Amino acid sequence: MMDKLYLIARIADTRVALRSRSIHSVVAVGAPVEVPAAPPHVAGLFALRSRVFTLIDPHVVVGLAPVPAVAGQRVVVVDVAEHGYALLADAIEDVCFIDAPEARVTGKLLPGWARVAEAMIEHEGQSLLVVDPAHFITLPALKAA
Amino acid sequence: MDDLLTDFLAETAEILAEAGGALVAWEADPADRARLDAIFRLVHTIKGSSSFLALPRVTALSHAAEDALDQVRRGNRAANAELVTGVLGIVDRLSQLCGLLGQAGVEPPGDDGDVIAALAADGEAPEAPETTAEGGEIQLRREDDFAIDAQGWRTIRVPLPLLDSVMTGVTDIVLARNEFARMLRETGADPSLIASFDRLSDSIAGMRQSVSQMRMQRIDKLFAPLPRIVRDLAQDLGKKIRFATSGGEVELDREMMENIRDPLIHIVRNAIDHGIEKLDDRVAAGKDITASISVSARQSGNQIEIEVRDDGRGLSPDALVQKAIAARLLPAADARALTPREKLDLIFRPGFSTASKITAISGRGVGMDIVKANVEKIGGVVDLRNDEGRGLAVVLRVPMTLTIISGLMVRAAGQYFAIPRGSVREILLETNDSVRIERVGGGELVTVRGEPFPLLRLETVLGRERDPGDDVEDRALVLVRPGQGQSYALSVAAIHDHEELVIKPAAPMIMATGLYAGTTLPDNGRPVLLLDVQGILAAAAIDASEAGRGMDRAAEADASAAAERGAAQLLLFRDVGGRTRGVRLSVIERVEEVPALALFESAGRIQVQIGDDIFPVHAARLPEDHGALKLLRLYDGQMVLCYPIEAVIDIVRLPDMSQPAAAPGLIAGVVLIGGEPVEIVDPFWLMEQYAPGLTAAPAARQPVCRLADDRDGWGDNFLAPILRSAGYRVVSESSGEAADVLLCLTGDGTCAHDDDDVPVIRLRASAAPIGPDDDTVYRYDRGALLDALRRRTGGDRP
Repeated sequence: MMDKLYLIARIADTRVALRSRSIHSVVAVGAPVEVPAAPPHVAGLFALRSRVFTLIDPHVVVGLAPVPAVAGQRVVVVDVAEHGYALLADAIEDVCFIDAPEARVTGKLLPGWARVAEAMIEHEGQSLLVVDPAHFITLPALKAA
Repeated sequence: MDDLLTDFLAETAEILAEAGGALVAWEADPADRARLDAIFRLVHTIKGSSSFLALPRVTALSHAAEDALDQVRRGNRAANAELVTGVLGIVDRLSQLCGLLGQAGVEPPGDDGDVIAALAADGEAPEAPETTAEGGEIQLRREDDFAIDAQGWRTIRVPLPLLDSVMTGVTDIVLARNEFARMLRETGADPSLIASFDRLSDSIAGMRQSVSQMRMQRIDKLFAPLPRIVRDLAQDLGKKIRFATSGGEVELDREMMENIRDPLIHIVRNAIDHGIEKLDDRVAAGKDITASISVSARQSGNQIEIEVRDDGRGLSPDALVQKAIAARLLPAADARALTPREKLDLIFRPGFSTASKITAISGRGVGMDIVKANVEKIGGVVDLRNDEGRGLAVVLRVPMTLTIISGLMVRAAGQYFAIPRGSVREILLETNDSVRIERVGGGELVTVRGEPFPLLRLETVLGRERDPGDDVEDRALVLVRPGQGQSYALSVAAIHDHEELVIKPAAPMIMATGLYAGTTLPDNGRPVLLLDVQGILAAAAIDASEAGRGMDRAAEADASAAAERGAAQLLLFRDVGGRTRGVRLSVIERVEEVPALALFESAGRIQVQIGDDIFPVHAARLPEDHGALKLLRLYDGQMVLCYPIEAVIDIVRLPDMSQPAAAPGLIAGVVLIGGEPVEIVDPFWLMEQYAPGLTAAPAARQPVCRLADDRDGWGDNFLAPILRSAGYRVVSESSGEAADVLLCLTGDGTCAHDDDDVPVIRLRASAAPIGPDDDTVYRYDRGALLDALRRRTGGDRP
């Protein structure tokens, strides 16, 4: 059953579905602390119950201009390789079961999205990209260089 | 899986690792009775617990090993390489079995007849039985073994996740307390409320301290598997290697331990495979055929230094360059510009492997680059001390704990950063009179009391603008010493305060900037980045080495800089009598806290047991209360002496001696520190008081005494302990080892061993000499005996 549970959110100006098992939690971020000299998609650090999380701006990952975080903004918390990250979400819409099967991505996506999208899924008459939050953590090599 | 089984597996895995190392050490010195007893006990423990859990294969295997070892203890079987290989075979099989047990939960069926037979078979080979007629004594020892087993109940096993969750919990409590404290301050609560809050606060601080201590483990756990690795690898490669470890009692956070386990094993493997030459090459180089590898740990400040030293061929910088060019890691044109240091550092390049062909041992894609990356990940440093042709030492310097360090909080570009307190040398305001800042050729340098330092502005390093809200008056210089012989000045907008910080590694992409060593959550609950003072240096690409600085300065400035560097530091402490005293910091190995019960009186002296070692204590009598006791551990390179104190007060620069003591004694003199007189303890005098009775002679230099004709065991029981405590190594008559002196114990002064080149001392049983030409020594005349030994072995022994 858990396999069918998805979080629907607006990330980087796009409605996407995130598989619920890849997500730790959804929380509101306090005022983040900047990390000077860090890669551009690192939006800062924030603390949650004595853990420090690295805030990621998905806009930068898909190739858009950075959008600064505001206090109280909701973030999707994920654990990747024993480090805690939080993806800045424009909006969190819903958590729901989607019975439709995941389908192969059809159509040509922008390069930024092509890297993070794993599949597509039909939900309430709309096609959503299924993205793996772990893909947002690293920037493509050419950008990091 | 059942809890009992889980406990058994955890305990057995630990015992097996320890037994492997102990067996190898014992093989090297089969006369080491204590070692044999220890191994026997380990195997016995496994047998005991496995029979309780009904694991027939484990029981049978451990029984076979126990039996074989017992035969040796009884002197019915000789200790030799076959026996050790046999027992190691059993240890391996046990490890395999435990692995399967851990997965399946039940003991898999199978036959261990092969390894058991291998062990039994060579026992029947006609080995010369060692000695006889000691059965009664061995029986007694067996009872001791069980007494020691019972001590096991004084500790309990706790699953690591539980320990970690306690740690996280305590960190949460600390953060909540800080938040609460801030709210109390802001609302102006009444004093009685604040007083009880302070009490709560103190107990939380104490608890945090204990929790971080719970995570500390002795580093010998890390060393335990090494002897086995060395032995197996040396055998495979046909090399002879003497392996030694020291400093096993140094403690390290268990998380750090996990992180350096693989790098350490890799470095040791490298040393055996690449560092140590083949036997022929060693002979050709005029070296001892038996190579030596030593691993030692040492604590300095809040860092642990682990050194792996071998006496092999060392690294050849030019060969490294050739290899790097051949492997296309380095364009030939760049190679010429490299300094010798940079040439050595080539081995840390990814894709570099020093062996001319990849071997099965160390060339498995895991190179020194991974070692370096792993060590750096936890805030450590890898250093090479190369002596081409004579050996290489690889030094790992890692922080003692990842969890809590003392940090200096500074502000720059409108946000806070932490600097590890351990690398801060001095803090000065930029407006200070003794500070002169100059711009030279686009760079900045600062001269502090005549000593020049390169100056870095933290904002520039981080690529930020200065915060317009900063007050110029607040700007401060932090003199940082990131490593030995390096220093620079870091200019920050303001100094905030000192805090005990809980450090966590930052996300990899943040660590990859090279500027940060981790993140931390200080009292205000907002994350703060810990600066990597070494990394900042690399990012700024400046040369921070102290050598050669200020060459054209006035001689006076030079002298003052030299004095600065040469000035010794003094540890101020309150001794048990309540007096303030000081002792040079460099003679202190560490400060130890032990329960008062660890002190005991023996042979008219107070001694203390720390771990498996016993050290003398400078005290006239045992402490009366039964609390904890702080001991300064003084170390002179050979022996350790503990000096009880009440509390450490401070570390200060040692002023010039103002009032030397009239006569040599415990107090070398009195100095004024902050206007108060402080007595300076004379470590030379102290060590001298305790040195003679000690057996701290380094193993390699001990002359060897062979006891001959020891028919009734008098030599072994009465004489050998005296000789050992006088710094000799004692071997039995049947040992093949070359001796420096032969002691004949026939009683009537005749000796059948005259034909050797070895000097002979004959002992007689009667007090009076038999005739005027009698050169024998009365066996209870300790002075004459030691005197004779000294003369025969070259006179350099006590």
